[in-house]
Amino acid sequence: MSLAKWTVGLMAGMSMLAFAAQANAGEVRVTVAEYSAKTGPYFDSVKKEFEAANPGITVKFEVVPWEVLLQKLTTDITAGTNADLSIIGTRWLIDFVQQDVAEPLDSYIKPDFKDRFIDTFLSPSIMDGKTYGLPIAASARAMYYNKELFEKAGIANPPANWTELQEDARKIKALGSGTFGFGLQGKEIETDVYYYYAMWSQGTEILNKDGTSGLGTPGALEAAKLYKSMIDEGLTEPGVTSNNREDVQNLFKQGKVGMMITAPFLSNQIKDEAPNLKYGVAAIPAGPTGARGTYGVTDSIIMFKNSKNKDEAWKLLDFLFTTEQRAKFTQGEGFLPVNKEEAKMDYYVNNADLAAFTALLPDARFAPIIPGWEEVAQITSDAMQKIYLGGDPEAGLKDAAAKANAVLKK
Amino acid sequence: MQNRFLPYLLTLPSLFLAAVVIFWPVWDLIQISTHEVSRFGQLREFNDFANFTALLADPDFMAALWRTGQWTVLVVGGALLLSIPVAMILNTDFYGRGIARVLIMLPWAVSLTMTAVVWRWALSGESGMLNSALIGLGLIDHNIQWLASAETAFPMQVLIGILVTVPFTTTIFLGGLSSIPDDLYEAAALEGATPLQQFREITFPLLKPFINIAIVLNTIYVFNSFPIIWVMTQGGPANSTDILVTHLYKLAFRIGKLGEASAVSLVMFAILLVFTMIYVRLAMREQRA
Repeated sequence: MSLAKWTVGLMAGMSMLAFAAQANAGEVRVTVAEYSAKTGPYFDSVKKEFEAANPGITVKFEVVPWEVLLQKLTTDITAGTNADLSIIGTRWLIDFVQQDVAEPLDSYIKPDFKDRFIDTFLSPSIMDGKTYGLPIAASARAMYYNKELFEKAGIANPPANWTELQEDARKIKALGSGTFGFGLQGKEIETDVYYYYAMWSQGTEILNKDGTSGLGTPGALEAAKLYKSMIDEGLTEPGVTSNNREDVQNLFKQGKVGMMITAPFLSNQIKDEAPNLKYGVAAIPAGPTGARGTYGVTDSIIMFKNSKNKDEAWKLLDFLFTTEQRAKFTQGEGFLPVNKEEAKMDYYVNNADLAAFTALLPDARFAPIIPGWEEVAQITSDAMQKIYLGGDPEAGLKDAAAKANAVLKK
Repeated sequence: MQNRFLPYLLTLPSLFLAAVVIFWPVWDLIQISTHEVSRFGQLREFNDFANFTALLADPDFMAALWRTGQWTVLVVGGALLLSIPVAMILNTDFYGRGIARVLIMLPWAVSLTMTAVVWRWALSGESGMLNSALIGLGLIDHNIQWLASAETAFPMQVLIGILVTVPFTTTIFLGGLSSIPDDLYEAAALEGATPLQQFREITFPLLKPFINIAIVLNTIYVFNSFPIIWVMTQGGPANSTDILVTHLYKLAFRIGKLGEASAVSLVMFAILLVFTMIYVRLAMREQRA
């Protein structure tokens, strides 16, 4: 038998296997990211309620840890066995649109449906005038500070800018007993973002106006020097490059870190794990000109072009974005409301922590919508780790800017 | 007539299985690595081995290649050096040998990923067990940030690699030792051979086939081993603990360069294939001589 015949035979066998795994009519398969231990139970209850209200449609949720979500989607799409709907990081959306695997939702979206959303959060999912995803989760970053440490160190208010932050960190360091002024994240996901907070406050953006990388600008250098000087002076926790976001959050929960920048879900964690910790949430420090920036993130739920049950899938989307369902999900996970009606609920209005986050939204930057963004982010994280380990900021940034520009030019 | 075809007929089922689980993915990898490929694996045009030349020009790949060599040699060598005495001790009869054997085998029973997660916690700078133990013993006076830089992280990863490779290697050697008849030692002792001479002249030569098996199998496992390095440092900081598998994973699933990742995968396959062939050749020639 010739090789071609073998290949055809194998392909046929494989496609039969794949066919067996395909959904039956009326079944909607959804890949969802596991944000916390509450994610699985939430989608279980969605399945029950939705199936009871819509006889004839069955829903199957595949809950996947966030770290392996992109890997699963890549392999599923390559094999053609992807679900009907999936949660994705909105920053990946451009790849899905360019590769023509995401279905535009505009034919389903009625004006009153669109009106449910807060524009800031819906707009990242819109590309070339078409809505390819709906923001299922939204988050921003703000600065948490430990009120008890601040009081002990004789600091009245959270720092408004980076100079004040350095002074406060010095005072907290002076308390001794294993306390660190500023928690600096230097490992794994969002290592680059932690650096952008300082960079944005210098008025530098991730991409310059001409589309080149901002890493080569004087503002980027100032920001890197700021963090490096804080490490050298011992104002951060030691071993910055061994601490990912969760590690720094744990130090904060243990009361060892004076200040750190992270997402609203830390409030939920503190409530559960360290209820006696006295903390406040404040704006991200500003730079010399008063510029500041926070990182805005949304995850979108998208419909795949090859879905065989698009109408049923849309019904599920419509259900997921009702005010009641949104409130249940958002409050459980500690995200920000994306739904206008939901945002008016007492839970959000009377919540001082969340108010600090929503106040920062006008300064929010979302990940730039460019192909190759993940690679640029990786280049930036690598460059920062080298600098945090003692490398020269100027040389490191120059090298990173060149690498990033090579990616951006493609 | 029948005799000539029978062997082929008998190997056919396993050949078919191998075709499905080995040849087909490798064929697929060759396809992906020699073509321009989309983010989600759709093949485009043939691209003149651009994925392979891109690898050679990538300093991160070359560094990972070199580090993979160090990683494999150190872990396989270390496990070998440790396992021979351990197996010899466990082969002697002593009180509590059963418990000792279980203790040595225990790391094998725990999933590699879980072992790595536990060590990641243990090596945490501020709240890790290792630092508090060392401080408690008075060996250090301030916390060591084990995973903060490659200088401390990589040696620790190698040590953990050795630790989890020892059980399997010891098992092979225990099997080997039990196949050496006791009368050889008795005869040697009668002739006045010292324990060292007994080891050099009897134990080691007779254990050699087992050592060869251990080297080949361990090299393949360790060369491809992903969890320890990924869980503890993800190949970081700044790619300084990357080996080829972690480099490949980042290329494929973070950055989305499936073509280059497939090329790395093929390079790894080729290295292991060549190593195994050369090694098996050498080992067999030695045995025949």
